[in-house]
Amino acid sequence: MSINELKENAEAVVKNLHGDQRFIGRSTSIGLTPGCKLSVIKNDKNRPILIYSRDTMISLGRSECAGIEVEEVKR
Amino acid sequence: MSAATIALLGQPNSGKSTVFNALTGMRQHVGNWPGKTVEKKEGSFAHNGTTYEVADLPGSYSMSANSDEEVITRDFITSGKADVVCILADSSQLERSLFMLADYAGLDAPCFLVLNMEDVAKDQGKSIDVNVLEKKLGIPVMLFSATDTKAYDKFYETLERALKGKTRINVSELEKEYEKIEGYNDIKSSISEKALSGCTPMWLTAKYIEGDKVVSAKLNEALSKDSLSKLEAASKNSGGAIATGECKFKWIDELLTGVVNKPKTSVSLGKLDRIYTSKVWGKPAVVLTVILGLIASFIPALPIMGLGSVVDMLKNVVHDALVNAAVPDILTGLICDVVLQSMGYVIKMLGFVLGVTLVFGLLEEVGIMARISYVFDNTMGRLGLQGKSVMPFLVSFGCTMGGAAGARVIDNWGQKVLTIALAWAVPCGAAWAIIPMLSTVFFGLGAPLVIVVILLVMILHMWITAKIFGKGLVKKEDRCGMIMELPPYHKPKWGALLRYVFGRTKDTFFRVVKVVLIVCLIFWLLSYGSGETDTSILYRVGTAIEPVTKFFGLPWQLFIAFIAASVGKEGAVGVISALYAGTSYGEGFAAAMSGAARAANLNELLLANVSKPEALAFIFAITFNLPCVVALAATYQEIHSVKWTLKIALYYTVVALLLACVAYHVGLLIF
Repeated sequence: MSINELKENAEAVVKNLHGDQRFIGRSTSIGLTPGCKLSVIKNDKNRPILIYSRDTMISLGRSECAGIEVEEVKR
Repeated sequence: MSAATIALLGQPNSGKSTVFNALTGMRQHVGNWPGKTVEKKEGSFAHNGTTYEVADLPGSYSMSANSDEEVITRDFITSGKADVVCILADSSQLERSLFMLADYAGLDAPCFLVLNMEDVAKDQGKSIDVNVLEKKLGIPVMLFSATDTKAYDKFYETLERALKGKTRINVSELEKEYEKIEGYNDIKSSISEKALSGCTPMWLTAKYIEGDKVVSAKLNEALSKDSLSKLEAASKNSGGAIATGECKFKWIDELLTGVVNKPKTSVSLGKLDRIYTSKVWGKPAVVLTVILGLIASFIPALPIMGLGSVVDMLKNVVHDALVNAAVPDILTGLICDVVLQSMGYVIKMLGFVLGVTLVFGLLEEVGIMARISYVFDNTMGRLGLQGKSVMPFLVSFGCTMGGAAGARVIDNWGQKVLTIALAWAVPCGAAWAIIPMLSTVFFGLGAPLVIVVILLVMILHMWITAKIFGKGLVKKEDRCGMIMELPPYHKPKWGALLRYVFGRTKDTFFRVVKVVLIVCLIFWLLSYGSGETDTSILYRVGTAIEPVTKFFGLPWQLFIAFIAASVGKEGAVGVISALYAGTSYGEGFAAAMSGAARAANLNELLLANVSKPEALAFIFAITFNLPCVVALAATYQEIHSVKWTLKIALYYTVVALLLACVAYHVGLLIF
């Protein structure tokens, strides 16, 4: 599933990244690499999604979310 | 003679500019990298009798080559221009912010690591063992808060250690990770030790796997066809940048075990963030924040602006004294209408710049600016801008120079220029004083309609201007979507902030005085006329080209008022008043620009001399004209490019006349 399908407060692990070199470079440099744990802080329709990962609050645009494949981790 | 050149390297929000400002103080020079739309910041400082040069490398997220900023940063380091590189990381988010260090590892230039924001990490209950980290990395490491001005002794000491030892990062553990990537060893074996100066084969191999265009191109030149095809084959199944990214973070995780102790915390949004990120309240909250900021910036500004008014009064006193002493007219004019008038403008402007720099610098440091960016990123992205650009736009409703000064928080030069260029289209406070007045005189109850049309034209103007200038200023690849960090809120450090604000204001003063003096002198020369009859160049040109300006809906009196409004909109109505009342132009101009009262019968004068379509044309012409001489100077101060400042100024003058023309001809159809 892609990251925007996660519900608020869900926890997940990044599985893979899809996109051009620039997108991959940018995602990697902010810490989103396969195996990285994250939790969803806020996910409102039509608004950027807010996640928390590697001690950092990150906001992702809706179109960027499509390129981040995750697997939900049940608590 | 400088002993060494230090390059500052760090991701956005790592506090790079704070360190740069603290080190160099006022000894800095801001310009552009040759041929690039990227800002170049250099400075110097002296410590223990030696001078150090500091280069603040353009903000980038990694050492890859995905943007002009990153290419410039990388070239600077690999070309050996830096004797030592200071890598900055945020202590409160070490895991993520050490990525720059991991991406740097394998470059030849000696380096040291500065863990900034010790205070924030402490507040979060984190403790960091610097000694262990230093041992693992093999380079000097230090922990401090860049805003703590007393902590810099530690910085100098660490810097000297790095320079003396020419310290490089111990990469053996990182390479072990890289070696697990399929094809890594094959690629590395075909890259020679000296393939590219400044880079080790390990670093080149990793970049090649990431598909780095610059490295691939350089290797294409350096290697034989045979080894190139070997390289390509080997990298096929490597996994690219995702694989190397994983390696870098594994290495970072290893580094940090036993170094960082942090309490288990659950993350939730603070009260303020819940409002800013709210779907409904986010935008109103940001607009309110900026408006409150604008109001707050008047508190420190007002006393200084009052001083500017004193200079204006002084001007009148000096004028009378000089006239009484029978000093030649031309000298009196130069002293009063050029020098003192300019100083009056500049001092008033400085007050406002000081206020805006202080308040918006505070919003930036505290972390609110990042939230503003978050809330407006989608909207502003349509114009090719960052979310932060909304702030200069809102400030420009009050004063365009405040908008220009506020654009400083935009870290991309091209986007900064575009933001200021668009902010000029926002009618400022002085325009809002004139538009309703003129609209009411001529259109009575239709006045609100005029104002609505002006606001709609403003939006259209900004949209078209963004299209025209955006191409050259904001590259397509810079318009990346939003992947952005929201930094934790920081407590502001007043000492460092005030030092920065006063430094900026002083710097602005010297730069701006020149521009304002020159422009005021030119206008004075143009409008200087001796004796009773109007002999000024502006009058003669104005009347001579009246057939042309008439087509734009501007008789010569209005055209001259339009030109005068480029110096200051406040004076425009005074100039019309003087001209229609039959005062000599030269006198009328000088009096109006220093705020002389308009004729008591101005309304009748206007209605008797100006037709409705002409009035409409004039309203549009001065609303969208270049805002004023100080806004021009402030723009130059922020973008430090004469070419772009003139380009924008010329563009606005032409567009204002075109809009006037359209308004006039539409007016002819209606009335």
